[in-house]
Amino acid sequence: MQAFKILIPHFKHYKKDIFAALVAIIVSAFATLYQPRLLENIQRAIMLDQKDIVVRDGIILVVLGIVAIISGVFNVYYAARIAQGVTSDLREEIYAKIQSFSFGNIENFSAGSLTTRLINDMNQIMNMLMQLFMQLLRMPILIVGSFIFCIVIIPRFWWATVIMVALIIGFGIYVLKQMNSLFDKFQKTMDKISGRAQETLQGVRVVKSFNQGPQEIKKFNQTSDRLNNYNIVIGYWFSTIMPAFQLIAYLVITLVVYLIGQGIAAHPTDVAVVSPFVNYILTLLWTIMIAGMTMMQFARGNISLGRIKEILDTEPDIKFNENASTDILGSSVEFDHVSFTYPDGEDETLKDISFKIKPGQMVGIVGATGSGKSTLAQLIARLYDPTKGEVKIGGHNLKDVNETALRKTVAFVLQRAILFSGTIASNLRQGNSRARMHELQRAANMAQASEFIERYNDSFDHEVEERSSNFSGGQKQRLSIARGLVAKTPILILDDSTSALDAESEKKVQQALEHELPDTTTFIIAQKIVSVVHADTILVLDDGKLVAQGTHAELLKTSPVYQEIFKTQKGKRGGK
Amino acid sequence: MSDTRKAIRYFIKYLKPYKKGIAIVILLSLLSSGAQVIAPTFLGRAVTDLTNYLADLKKGTASLNTFYSALWSMLLFYVLSQVAIFIAWMVMSKFNADSTNDMRENLFAKFQRMLVRYFDTHQDGKLLSLFTSDLDNIFNAMNNAIFEIISQGIMFIGTIVIMFMVNQQLAWTTIATTPLILIVSVLIMKKARIYLDKQQDEIGDLNGYITEQINGEKIIITNDLRKESIENFKTYNNRVRNAMFKGQFYSGILFPLMNGLNLLNLAIVIAMGAWMIISGQVSQAIGLGLIVTFVEYSQTYFQPLTQITSIYSMIQLALTGARRLATVEEQKDEDAVPNGKKINGLQKAVKLENVHFGYDENKEILHGVNISVNKGQSVAVVGPTGSGKTTIMNLLNRFYDVNSGKVTFDGVDVRDIQLESLRNNIGIVLQDSVLFTGTIADNIRYGKPNALMDEVISAAKQADIHDFIESLPDGYETKVNDSSSVFSTGQKQLISIARTILINPDFLILDEATSNVDTVTEEKIQQAMDAVIAGRTSFVIAHRLKTILNSDKIVVLKDGNVIESGSHEDLLKEKGFYYKLYTDQMAFD
Repeated sequence: MQAFKILIPHFKHYKKDIFAALVAIIVSAFATLYQPRLLENIQRAIMLDQKDIVVRDGIILVVLGIVAIISGVFNVYYAARIAQGVTSDLREEIYAKIQSFSFGNIENFSAGSLTTRLINDMNQIMNMLMQLFMQLLRMPILIVGSFIFCIVIIPRFWWATVIMVALIIGFGIYVLKQMNSLFDKFQKTMDKISGRAQETLQGVRVVKSFNQGPQEIKKFNQTSDRLNNYNIVIGYWFSTIMPAFQLIAYLVITLVVYLIGQGIAAHPTDVAVVSPFVNYILTLLWTIMIAGMTMMQFARGNISLGRIKEILDTEPDIKFNENASTDILGSSVEFDHVSFTYPDGEDETLKDISFKIKPGQMVGIVGATGSGKSTLAQLIARLYDPTKGEVKIGGHNLKDVNETALRKTVAFVLQRAILFSGTIASNLRQGNSRARMHELQRAANMAQASEFIERYNDSFDHEVEERSSNFSGGQKQRLSIARGLVAKTPILILDDSTSALDAESEKKVQQALEHELPDTTTFIIAQKIVSVVHADTILVLDDGKLVAQGTHAELLKTSPVYQEIFKTQKGKRGGK
Repeated sequence: MSDTRKAIRYFIKYLKPYKKGIAIVILLSLLSSGAQVIAPTFLGRAVTDLTNYLADLKKGTASLNTFYSALWSMLLFYVLSQVAIFIAWMVMSKFNADSTNDMRENLFAKFQRMLVRYFDTHQDGKLLSLFTSDLDNIFNAMNNAIFEIISQGIMFIGTIVIMFMVNQQLAWTTIATTPLILIVSVLIMKKARIYLDKQQDEIGDLNGYITEQINGEKIIITNDLRKESIENFKTYNNRVRNAMFKGQFYSGILFPLMNGLNLLNLAIVIAMGAWMIISGQVSQAIGLGLIVTFVEYSQTYFQPLTQITSIYSMIQLALTGARRLATVEEQKDEDAVPNGKKINGLQKAVKLENVHFGYDENKEILHGVNISVNKGQSVAVVGPTGSGKTTIMNLLNRFYDVNSGKVTFDGVDVRDIQLESLRNNIGIVLQDSVLFTGTIADNIRYGKPNALMDEVISAAKQADIHDFIESLPDGYETKVNDSSSVFSTGQKQLISIARTILINPDFLILDEATSNVDTVTEEKIQQAMDAVIAGRTSFVIAHRLKTILNSDKIVVLKDGNVIESGSHEDLLKEKGFYYKLYTDQMAFD
């Protein structure tokens, strides 16, 4: 119940609603409780021929029905308001929290998990709150109330009610224990089922070309039959619960009525007690069962609350200095003995890297996959902090700068071109929300995107669909480069962002960068050496270490790693 | 055919084999409901007997015998009803589980028969949710709804019948308000459904927004867009808040409404009963008994009304699930050509003859392609992305069929060859390798499950992965699955090469991986590829210059046409597109 605390600040905004919901719950619970009692009175009055009481209590019963409806509807109304309000407010709080996270924080959770938490877990919590304000608070009143009434009605037989409750709870707990271990096995087998299905979906071509369909079916059916066995046994246990509970209740009822019959001569008014007693016993039975089910749902909601709390308890591992200046930092970049290890990694991804880049230089970064190129670039944009050493822009250690200043200084074009749904213009303006049309056009020109943008009738207002499915990989990369250019920052990082462009377009983009942005410090990360041959300086990474730095010509002479990369790529490029 | 009818037909199909079980459940439900309805009459009678007994006490003729027999009868009927329910549920649990299992196994078997096209055009996640969410919804609904519908239906009708048998006047009183209640609940359910749908839509939108934003978080961060992102989130979030409030409200009020109406109805019944006693229509003893009985009836009568409203959404979900499953079952199967020609090895050549093909009817990708691969030859296909190289591979193995023209295997159209036999003779190494859950040995002998361990090892040695496997603590018995980190991407590819070597196919299709692997592994893959190509007829979608140079014939594909073909030297002399590719610093991607 620790996790429940995160809800409390949000409850404060709904004090009136909570009060109203509680009043409605209490009223409706008492209406439910009072009803069999009233029936008893009416019957007794009929028996004693007290007409006025019959009429009076009859009217009370009608009023009770109306009260039950009104309080019930109000209860739902306020419960829904609180549940919606609190979950929506909490969701907002979490989203804002996520937006304060560093990229490392987000990766730790994984994007998928954060989305699940914001949607599925919040839905569970909403259901839980709804239940809390509709059922759970009602349950204690009803259980205690009907328990008391069962006893008050015929105090002599208090033990019958106690025995029934004890038997029901005892049996319920026993069955739940049996089923819990079954559920666990069931869930594991279910995971296997979806694992098998997923495998054959991914490997459909392999399965078919090796003619393994029948074998796959055989294997799948084995697992499926196992799942089925668990399903059947769980079903058998479920089948026992209700009949067993009812049977217990009916045995108790029979016993009590039998004893009433035996003692009727001494207690003649007991006749009118039979029907309300049966009613209270059955109400008690149902209430206990519903309470049991609500508790199970509550347990699920509590797990979700715990997952939400994890987000709230996470401290952003990158913090900017809000008091620092928001001016542009400069365009020189320096790495001073920088080492870096990913939060979940064991080995260092970058090892003791030092270099200085002068303003306006074009820098190439090459190396094999996994050598740390992208990681290095991400440190410049402070998506991560180095584990050791310092990264400086314009002489400022990035740990001391204002975030706005850094974002104004560095534009980052990612390896994976991501566009957001909206229009081409809205995507480009993410670089700079105040960019004018001619600035968008200039950026699109440089990124070689104008050619296809102009082909649309609505040009820059052309829609970007969900998952940007209406653009090819190359088009997405061009737009993504253009977005980086719109920002007009003094430092530009292109992280392997021309990989889907053909050689000619790639060359044009590079020429445009060289001619039109002579003062911009540009980092180009590339798989192909051809993409960086014209750079002022090239950093060669190998297994996280900076093994060489220099121009293409220098490196060809001095760096064995560079020579090897060049050699393996040479073939592809016609032995030049 | 309407969607609901399709879903119901699906249910009927899968419940048909369990006719006997269903019949038993219906019978037992009848029995149980009957007992459930009759039992309270004995309680009423017991009360009447007690009242009479009290009156008789004064006369001195009192006897509790009738009271006892009423009481025992009541207990008997209650026990009977619960035992019947218990047996009915046991039977039902079994056939529901079995029937869902049939659905699941048939769905999987259907997946094995369907066209590759279906998998290429549908998201894995959506297909997987058939196994997880849809079948689950169906199972839940079958377990809860079937019995509810049967028993509540019987209960509803049964209660009405018995009520009329016991006392017509009170029976009419009990059901008098029903039409009004039905109208109100239908109106509310309609509203609830509208807002619940809206709620699902709004949640879907919010989900979409969050996914897009968080997946693009690097862009959000580096462009300083986090405040905007939160502001937009609020808009989506508020829409969810409003829609959900209404959805929850309308679907929530049904239950208290029914409960309250139940109470009102009780008041009406009691009032009528009391009036009957007071006006002298019935004796006090009988009247009191009647009231007790009808208080019970009125509640059992209301139960089906409340219950059905509470399982309404469950039934909706199950119908949706059944519709989706039925739609998958309707899909076309692969043509297995059961009576087709069986082939045994390649004698002469594999040919593409004037092949036209497009994944989309209106968008042709291959425009009359002719390629022939003679026995023993190695043919490399090169060309820019989107030229149709991978498409050709899809046609050779009949993952797709040509629109016109034909693919022939020793002169026989592949569509006339028994599918299994065709695929037995063709080995394939895909760009993206897949590992299946099991041991490494299982994965290598995937195409020949009964292969001896010697064969597995020899294949692994040829693919140059044997040493690595031996270095693992469990060697060939190491358990792997596709996402396990035992192997790197490159090593996975070596396993998939070993897998193909083991089945020793006559004709080989290789789609070289473009993925970046470290230089050592790349060298190994190269050698493994050479090993697998050697001595076989092969068709290689080539990216590596060395593979291309080693091949007997190069086919240059561009925009769905073969524009050049011949040996490396010939093509260089032609000074055409290949020459340009080769010299123009362009990768053979």
